[in-house]
Amino acid sequence: MKDYEPLTSVEIQERRRARIVVIIIIVILVAIAAYLYWAFNPNRPVDYADIQEHFKYGSIGSEPANGIPYWIFKVMPDMFPEKLPGKGYASLGFIEEPGKDLPVGFSVRRVIVDRVGLNCGVCHTGTVRENASSQPRVIVGMPANRLELENYVRFLTACAVDPRFTVDNVMTAIAARTHLGPIEAYIYRTAIPLTREALIEQGNRLSFINNRPDWGPGRVDTFNPYKAIQFHWSMEHDDSIGTSDYPSVWNQRPREGMQLHWDGNNTSVDERNKSAALGAGVTPSTIDLDRLKRIENWLLDFKAPAYPYSIDEALAAKGDPIYKQHCASCHDFGAQLVGTVTPIDKIGTDPHRLDSYTYTLAVNQNMMYAGYPWRFSHFRKTDGYANMPLDGIWLRAPYLHNGSVPTLRDLLEPSEKRPQEFYRGYDVFDQKNVGFVSNIAAEGGHQFFRYDTTLPGNSNRGHVYGTTLSPEEKDAVLEYMKKL
Amino acid sequence: MGADIIFEPLKFRNLTVKNRIFRSNISGRFDYYNGVGTQARINWEEKFARGGVGAIISSHVPISIRGRILPNYAVIDNDDKIPFWRRVGEKVHEYDCKYIMQLSHGGRQRDVGGVENSFNKALSSTNHTDSFHGLLCQAMTKDEIKMVVQQFGDAARRAREAGLDGVELHACNGYLINQFLSSGINNRKDEYGGSLENRTRFLLEIMKAVRKEVGDDFHFQVKISAVDHNNALAFWEKKGNTLEDSIQVSKWVEAAGADAIHVSYGSTFPHPWNPPGAFPMDHAARTYGGMIPSGVYSFRNFLLFRYRLLRPIFKFLWYRTQPDEIEGINADEAQAIKKNVSVPVLVTGGFQTASFIRKCISEGYCDGVAIARPLVANNDLVKIYASGKDLPDKPCTYCNKCLIHAISDPLGCYELSRYDGDYDRMIREIMTVFTPA
Repeated sequence: MKDYEPLTSVEIQERRRARIVVIIIIVILVAIAAYLYWAFNPNRPVDYADIQEHFKYGSIGSEPANGIPYWIFKVMPDMFPEKLPGKGYASLGFIEEPGKDLPVGFSVRRVIVDRVGLNCGVCHTGTVRENASSQPRVIVGMPANRLELENYVRFLTACAVDPRFTVDNVMTAIAARTHLGPIEAYIYRTAIPLTREALIEQGNRLSFINNRPDWGPGRVDTFNPYKAIQFHWSMEHDDSIGTSDYPSVWNQRPREGMQLHWDGNNTSVDERNKSAALGAGVTPSTIDLDRLKRIENWLLDFKAPAYPYSIDEALAAKGDPIYKQHCASCHDFGAQLVGTVTPIDKIGTDPHRLDSYTYTLAVNQNMMYAGYPWRFSHFRKTDGYANMPLDGIWLRAPYLHNGSVPTLRDLLEPSEKRPQEFYRGYDVFDQKNVGFVSNIAAEGGHQFFRYDTTLPGNSNRGHVYGTTLSPEEKDAVLEYMKKL
Repeated sequence: MGADIIFEPLKFRNLTVKNRIFRSNISGRFDYYNGVGTQARINWEEKFARGGVGAIISSHVPISIRGRILPNYAVIDNDDKIPFWRRVGEKVHEYDCKYIMQLSHGGRQRDVGGVENSFNKALSSTNHTDSFHGLLCQAMTKDEIKMVVQQFGDAARRAREAGLDGVELHACNGYLINQFLSSGINNRKDEYGGSLENRTRFLLEIMKAVRKEVGDDFHFQVKISAVDHNNALAFWEKKGNTLEDSIQVSKWVEAAGADAIHVSYGSTFPHPWNPPGAFPMDHAARTYGGMIPSGVYSFRNFLLFRYRLLRPIFKFLWYRTQPDEIEGINADEAQAIKKNVSVPVLVTGGFQTASFIRKCISEGYCDGVAIARPLVANNDLVKIYASGKDLPDKPCTYCNKCLIHAISDPLGCYELSRYDGDYDRMIREIMTVFTPA
């Protein structure tokens, strides 16, 4: 239709001006949005090109749901030093590498503010020293032999319930370390009480761990926290003890199809990995599959480091046939029984870890990731413990699933001759007995964990294979096993 | 004491005025919308003739509808307007008062163009809008220049045919001719822009056209701004013509046949220096609304006037260059021009005190003074002088409310203090222009 209402030149110019104003407003809004997105992008992890760095410091998606705001994480040791056994997070056995802002196993992801979460590296990176005066060597993929995860949880809870954990106090502690911009400061003032509540809630859910023997360094109760955190089950009537050693994670390709976890409850490497990621704090909706996949792919063929100390080759050669005769059928890749479960009444080791994993739990685990193609389906209740391949076994001390036998040499002794008490958490290597030095109670003011095999779940009995060998045969097979 | 110089006749080449007081050009929206004059206009002019002024310089009389400032101003765009203006002249002459028609074209300074002009831009020397109201304009083509030059000539002829006593070209205060003269406004690249000579070309062509129409024996004066001070309000603008420029223009104007020079100030209207005095923003808030659709900055101005919180912004800009003096603000410039021309020089700018006027004339600053606002306040100012008083009992306060109200209300003195706070009395007085006693 013809427009019979022309515009005056003033109206034309004002409309042009209005358009420009609208465009300017849009540009400003877009710029603000872009800035906010850039500054507070709800999902931006720190990435690392090097795969080992990624393993130690990269994100697998644990931060959005369970991450602690970066500066709160940083200032908690400043505010509550008395709640730690020593200086900083390192006193809980976390590995601090020179030039790194956070300990191994902690990743950072921007979720409005930077948040700190756990990754695979936290439980699967350890240290070893040749002697007390040598520098620790950080070994990726080995069990986190010094990590006191239980005490870390206790520290977080203790901080959160402390009346000094207030917005003003935390902000003051943060101000001593950095200057937050006004927006970030506002977000932090909101985040501090939320973090506090979340940590208290986590402490409540995990309070059952205080009714069981301490985990100590290098151990974790894998599936009981799983029940409490993932499924929100009341632990009131569950007195099971699932405490066991961290495993090594190298060489995963040949493990596919084996019965994984100490009790062999799952035969899928992929499911086992995703399940372990849940333990680090990811959720089915926050899991970062791409970054997890990067680790998984790398671990398929990532080999255990070779034994770095001297080996008596002649002695080892003598041990080879003994090993083949007594050990290989259960522990060599390709052997008939490797990766299968030996029933509990046959293996005879401490049953607590086996019993802590229930049929109900397996059923519920198989409901996880419902709606996704990778929904769990391989969890099963078993009746014993799985026969593990022994690659890099020299770094996997103490031995048995519950870490109740300090050295391989001790493991070749009958149960009653194995140490009833020893110390865990020391990373100086015992070349003679293959394992970590376990008779030192303290070093440099740091008290090691006294392991009492008489406590429930801590029994060192069972797995009597090789215990009847002569001392010379034991020496020989021990020498051979350094090469595995 | 000798004869009072104020009451000595002023002899121009073609006109003699009985005294030295001229009613300066000031209008009011008294006429029909289409520019046909009304009795109110006659009543208005009669007030001053009766009051004793020697001559009245008419309101801004547009030579074309496109060149108007506001609707309801009587125009001289066509011969059919001659009878009305004859009636005005006749009425004024009853009081032995002369009537000089100010021929005007607002150019881009078209405050309210009216419905006839809704869809055209104002004509100007430039395409650039003014910094105050943002009134849009377009640079005139040479054909348009030729047309407007002839419109001025035709208008002058009509004034003479109407029996009026002379014409004045409104070449100051930011109206069209000033838009050509001012180096602060004129950005043309052709023979009408650039040098002072080129910028004056438009004025001189008009003068030539006027003389051609009215002959050499008709009073013809030109009103110019002595100084443009084009950046007095908008500090980012160029400063425009200087006094030296205007002296040169005056010489050229005299040479072109002007019988007198009328000196004013500023390349915009209003201008912080002209009319000197206050800018009553509270009153502007009531009257400026009608100008909102006119310009691209006028809504901004309205907000500045309307909201007291914003007023300091405008107040700062308006008053930042203003001098303290009001009465005789242009006297020095008039004197400088007078020294360089031989024709009589009139000057406007706050004159109200008889002794001061006497001093200015007798000491050679000017030959006569043109007064608007003090005469709006006291129509019989000349009679007051004649009675021996130096100043009226209730003088003009230079509040400028009359000019702010002129945009939308009947012209008159809106200074309530002059009516002892009696608003009804004030309105009755203002309304006498429609119903004279």
